[in-house]
Amino acid sequence: MRKIVLFGYSKTGREIAKLLLNDEYEVTIIDENPLLVALANEEGFFARHTSFKDDKILIEVGIGNGAEVLFCVSDDDSLNLFVTLSARNIDKNLKILTKILKKEDEKKMILAGANRTISPYDVGAAKAYRIIQKPKVSKVLNQLSALKNKISISEIEIPKGSAWDGVYLNDIDIKQDINLIFLGMLDKDLGEKFIFFAKGINHKLDAGDIIVVLGSKKDIGLLEDKLWK
Amino acid sequence: MLARLIVSFAYFLESSKRYKRVKTAIYNLLENPRSKIKPYFDIFIIFLVLLTVSILIYDIEHHLPYHFEVMENIAVSVFIFEWIGRFWISANLRLRIIKYHERKLELEEKPKLSTILKIIFQQKLQYIFSPMSIIDLLAILPTYRPLRILRIFLIFRLFKIFRYTKSLNSFFKVIKDKKFELNFLLLLGLFAVFMSSTIMYVFEGGGENPKIHSFLDTIYWSVITITTVGYGDITPVTLTGKVITVFLVGGGFLILVLSTSVVTNALSEKMSVVREGKVLSQIGKMTNLIVIFGFGRMGQILAAQLKKGHKKFIVVDISDENLEKAKEFDYLYMHADASSYDTVNNIVFKNDVKKVVLTTNNDALNLSILLSIKAKTDKIGIIARANSYENIKKFHIAKADHVIFPYQTVAEVAVEYIGNSVKFDAIDNILVQKESITIDEIDILEGSDYIGKTITQIGLDKLGVTIIAILKESGKEKFVFNPHHHEYRFQKDDSIVLIGEEKDIFKIKDEVARQLL
Repeated sequence: MRKIVLFGYSKTGREIAKLLLNDEYEVTIIDENPLLVALANEEGFFARHTSFKDDKILIEVGIGNGAEVLFCVSDDDSLNLFVTLSARNIDKNLKILTKILKKEDEKKMILAGANRTISPYDVGAAKAYRIIQKPKVSKVLNQLSALKNKISISEIEIPKGSAWDGVYLNDIDIKQDINLIFLGMLDKDLGEKFIFFAKGINHKLDAGDIIVVLGSKKDIGLLEDKLWK
Repeated sequence: MLARLIVSFAYFLESSKRYKRVKTAIYNLLENPRSKIKPYFDIFIIFLVLLTVSILIYDIEHHLPYHFEVMENIAVSVFIFEWIGRFWISANLRLRIIKYHERKLELEEKPKLSTILKIIFQQKLQYIFSPMSIIDLLAILPTYRPLRILRIFLIFRLFKIFRYTKSLNSFFKVIKDKKFELNFLLLLGLFAVFMSSTIMYVFEGGGENPKIHSFLDTIYWSVITITTVGYGDITPVTLTGKVITVFLVGGGFLILVLSTSVVTNALSEKMSVVREGKVLSQIGKMTNLIVIFGFGRMGQILAAQLKKGHKKFIVVDISDENLEKAKEFDYLYMHADASSYDTVNNIVFKNDVKKVVLTTNNDALNLSILLSIKAKTDKIGIIARANSYENIKKFHIAKADHVIFPYQTVAEVAVEYIGNSVKFDAIDNILVQKESITIDEIDILEGSDYIGKTITQIGLDKLGVTIIAILKESGKEKFVFNPHHHEYRFQKDDSIVLIGEEKDIFKIKDEVARQLL
């Protein structure tokens, strides 16, 4: 089981907890609001109350001790920052995702030690804007999430010694052999940044690079087979 | 007999398309606040008024050249035409007569001439004696030669300008609202003037002061003193007179200061109302308006995006703190309680609204606005934000066109972060445009060169964009995922959904638009 710590049983926190409610994950919820802790326990999650006087509780719930990911999604911006900072202090390799209220806060949170940030208001506003301005795009995105089991976004790591190890992207006609859309990749040489293929840069694929594709499970299986040919 | 003639004439007018067309044109020119031509006509009339008044001033010392008189006559003709036009459109007589006739028919009675005449005269006389009509008439009448003596009334033409300036009207409304305070101050002033002039007359009117000959002189002195003008042509000579003057100046100063503060206060109180009226008339002229209820964080981000996309929108919120932001970014905004029907009526129903976005963090309020709109019309698309999972269903029951539950979407994206961050970044970038990469759509309309060609033939695959899917308006298959680059041929009304650099997509859009020209 993968250990996940969720700080803040806010609306976002609640939805994350619901999505992670299966055998694959062991989720511990911490919150400084006793009412929310009670609510979380009532709804079937394991939640603990904390007051953040020291870092003891963070270590107890597994930070620096097996926890893989920390979600800081409480409604209190400064507490999110505080918990992010404390957790980063304990564990340098922990993956931390912090909720922000506005884009301008992103830099602050990254500085505090968050790996990524996310804003429900950004996502909500972008969705509303798409419905107004790009109705067909939102239709397609809805279709894709409705067809979740059939078509989804997946990532494939290029294995060492495979057909694509050391090949330039433009040299392989990947596009049409399998019914997959190649969205982008993470080039290990260029650091931890995702690059869309649509940027038009010709990358050299190496073992360890990760390609993100959109398509059905079957076709992704076909691609994985192909890599070994 | 005459009654029947009038009735049948009313029916004739009702059936005449041309009559209605002319009347609508006149209405657009003179009264319709939303017509495009009215502002120009208003400016033209103001120009004419200023011109004729200038001619009047010039006339006093000079002999009027011939062409000036022609100009004056033209101006007056325009004024006459304007007044007749307004008189004509002031009431819809034919509809009232027809209504009256139909009622009589139901009762199986004959229409009475007297009642018909009453309808006609009542309505039209009411217009003639309305203040605006009287000002218009006073501007026209002095031109008539035998009434030349009334030339001074030409100055009334200046009042005509009031008709065209909304801000002056609102100023008078402000004064009206403070009637009680101003009346009180006026009474106080009158009292002070009467009192001081009487005392002055008693002590200095009997020959003590050579300048004072009558009671009228002391009233004149009192008014000049109380208003702090102080010409100094009449000055007190006795000690009593001087003491009175000191009190009068002090009191007068107080009254002046008080009335100034009453008016300024009233004005600043009414500023928001005046501003709102302006905003309402501004949005009244817009088409395809988007209304955003709630200017919290989501509303602010959405507004910023809409502004970037050059969309017309207005923001409605009740919190001053939020609206301060709207003011800062120079958005159209309205301080209003969205739960009241009047707000929805004024902003949504009275204008050409295409979409309404409900982004408040209160589901009850969002639902209430949604229902007030949906109860009246189904033509406006509504996008609602749900704030709790349990309420999503209620929004669907209330027939919201789209329901956004941001927390769930965010959670779905957040959970992807557990695996490898790559996938998270991809989805996050697609959902919230963070870089120059965007997901967009391009419509293939009839007449486009793309029709019948494949993606490779057009060269779209060389442009560095990633085509996700084709959406089709008609046909069996509505959604083609990952269209084959060599095999899929574009058809009329296809929409391409693609990911790419903003500038690349713009280039393609530009080309598609040029093909249609």
